Amino acid sequence: MQIEAFDVFVAINAVVGAVFLWVALSTRHQHEPNIKSTNRLRIWFFGILTAGLILAFVLMFPRMPYPMGSQKPDQIVYAVGMQFSWGLSNEPIKNTDQWREATYAPPVKIPVGSLVEFRVTSFDVNHSLAVFSPSGHLLGQVQAMPGYVNDLRMRFSKPGTYWIFCLELCGMGHHRMRGEFEVVPRTSNSARTSATTREAHAGS
Amino acid sequence: MPDPDSYSPQQEIDPAPNHASPAFETSSQNPETVKRLNRVTPIWMAVVSLLFLTFSLDGYFLRMYQSKFFPIMRPEWFYAVLTLHGVGMVGLWFVAGMAAVTYLLARYIRPPLWASWMGLGGTLAGFALLIEATTRGMFGTGWYFLYPLPLYSQGTWPPWATGCFFASLVTLSSIWLVWSLAMISAILKRYPLRYALGWHYLSGQAGKQGPEVPPLVLITFVALIPGVAGFADAFAVFAFYFIQWQVKGFVANALLMKNLTFFFGHMMVHATMYLGVAIVYEMLPRFSNRSWKTNRIIALAWNAVLAMVLFAYFHHLYMDFVQPRMLQVMGQMMSYFSAVPAAVVSIFDGLRVVYGSRMRWTIASVFMFLGLMGWAAGGVGAVIDSTISVNYFFHNTLWVPAHFHTYYLMGCVLMVLGFASHLGVKLSGIPDSRLARRVIVTLFLIGGYGFILMFFWAGAHSIPRRYAIYPHELAWGTHDARVSVVFIGIFILGLLFFLWETGRRYLEIFWAQFRKRQMESYIS
Repeated sequence: MQIEAFDVFVAINAVVGAVFLWVALSTRHQHEPNIKSTNRLRIWFFGILTAGLILAFVLMFPRMPYPMGSQKPDQIVYAVGMQFSWGLSNEPIKNTDQWREATYAPPVKIPVGSLVEFRVTSFDVNHSLAVFSPSGHLLGQVQAMPGYVNDLRMRFSKPGTYWIFCLELCGMGHHRMRGEFEVVPRTSNSARTSATTREAHAGS
Repeated sequence: MPDPDSYSPQQEIDPAPNHASPAFETSSQNPETVKRLNRVTPIWMAVVSLLFLTFSLDGYFLRMYQSKFFPIMRPEWFYAVLTLHGVGMVGLWFVAGMAAVTYLLARYIRPPLWASWMGLGGTLAGFALLIEATTRGMFGTGWYFLYPLPLYSQGTWPPWATGCFFASLVTLSSIWLVWSLAMISAILKRYPLRYALGWHYLSGQAGKQGPEVPPLVLITFVALIPGVAGFADAFAVFAFYFIQWQVKGFVANALLMKNLTFFFGHMMVHATMYLGVAIVYEMLPRFSNRSWKTNRIIALAWNAVLAMVLFAYFHHLYMDFVQPRMLQVMGQMMSYFSAVPAAVVSIFDGLRVVYGSRMRWTIASVFMFLGLMGWAAGGVGAVIDSTISVNYFFHNTLWVPAHFHTYYLMGCVLMVLGFASHLGVKLSGIPDSRLARRVIVTLFLIGGYGFILMFFWAGAHSIPRRYAIYPHELAWGTHDARVSVVFIGIFILGLLFFLWETGRRYLEIFWAQFRKRQMESYIS
């Protein structure tokens, strides 16, 4: 997605730059533009730009990252940010002691392909939970706000260690605030764990 | 760029305003007002240029820090300088735009000069407090001091630094609010609300039952409304902080504070951008000898901009999933469609004004033309980022400073620097140099766009913004920063050339004014 967006940006701005250059060069030979054709050009420009924006809006709308639909997640991970670490746990983190415990606990394990819901909040300032792939690419993010819980749903297709960095400036240790979790191959055991978690939350 | 016609300031076209209608008189320029403007505006532009160099060097430091040029220096310095750079630059270009439009508006209204002087004094006082809070107090929350970070310093900055920072913001916001209101009042004295907003163009009554309204007046008015709304909103933010400080147990709502803070920042940045565009609407036709008057399309476009800009700020909160979904979608719609009047009316008309004209290419006109291009280029990056599903990957990565540096540095800043150059040439009588122009423009283009492109490239490769040090998993962020250091160096070199070229004219102006005052005091 990111590289495609960069390519679109460069392509459109190449056209923008070419148009500006063409207009600048046109001042070498003075002539009055035809008002009718200028107005016609403006109408075309308006039509194309508006249609392009509407098309982009319609195409991108279904890709919004907000949790939609009634599908229940396979696994719930509770994530709490505090200066300057992430606490991740399969159990709710209700206070700073539990948060500290979670920061030292072994990484949470998530089976490949399962729908995981991160329930994200903060106990102090605003943070942003950003999930990075093992190769260091941003896969998605959500803000962690004191007093609110933001739900982020993701699926991971490859096993490995995934990193969580903070993308909201949260103080002097912002750049070293991190967490991690492991995406593991789906086994009958992990599938059973996921099902148990789902049932537990369905019942709660 | 085509070769220019030889240019000297005597060729300056500065016709008397011709916006008369049978029902409304035109205001002629008051010689005393002009004299005072010729005194205050060069001071403003000189101060702006020097502060721009200072804050640019701050920015240079930030990218050098990310390049690991200062391995011993503590990261606290990075965040403190980041805060100074952010607040400083955003504020600086707002006041620079205000000073420039004050000068230009004198053709149509009587601008409040007392407010301009007050703005100068207040801005310098506010910036002094800001510099104190960040460089001595190490206050480092970034420019938007997101609640409640200022209250969670972890011992990095002392409480007095927080107080100093808020004293700076209260000073700046108060002064700029009063200045904006004074300017609105001055416009309304000559153009009542429906004329100032060009509503009589929409009903086809312009020239018959209403005056012709210059685009400069219309756009300045449209720019000041969100500006005032933003400053007023800032006081709500300050009030919540103050209550939390005074009332034990009170905790503000984080989501509400976020909305208030981003509304303030969004409005101020857009007001600044529009002030720059207002300068271009007024000045570009003077260089091309073409007219660029308000018509129904321009009036409609700027009223649409006014309506949309007030709601587009929701795009700053896309990643707050608890924000009502309807507001998120509205944020995307308003961000998308606010691009239409900008592109189809302002940028299209700007190109029409230049296309095939007998353009006088000076530093001023080239900067204004390129400023429009920077606005367009940055707008493309902004629209892409305002797509919710794209923002999911770009939010708080380097894509964000990439797009706002494009329309700020290569847009608004060029527009205002173009005005500063024009003013220097006009008041000093020293003509523009072709060689200097070519050198300056080349360095600005290579340095500016190279620096910005590295931001976009890094953003597209998942590099977070506001990281003093990149973790080893994102080590290529350090490499990108090193490349951008080269481009910033080129840009700073261009800026130094520009300051030399423009500065010598300003020295001539100040010297002439000093001699004149001495002569007057000698005669009297």
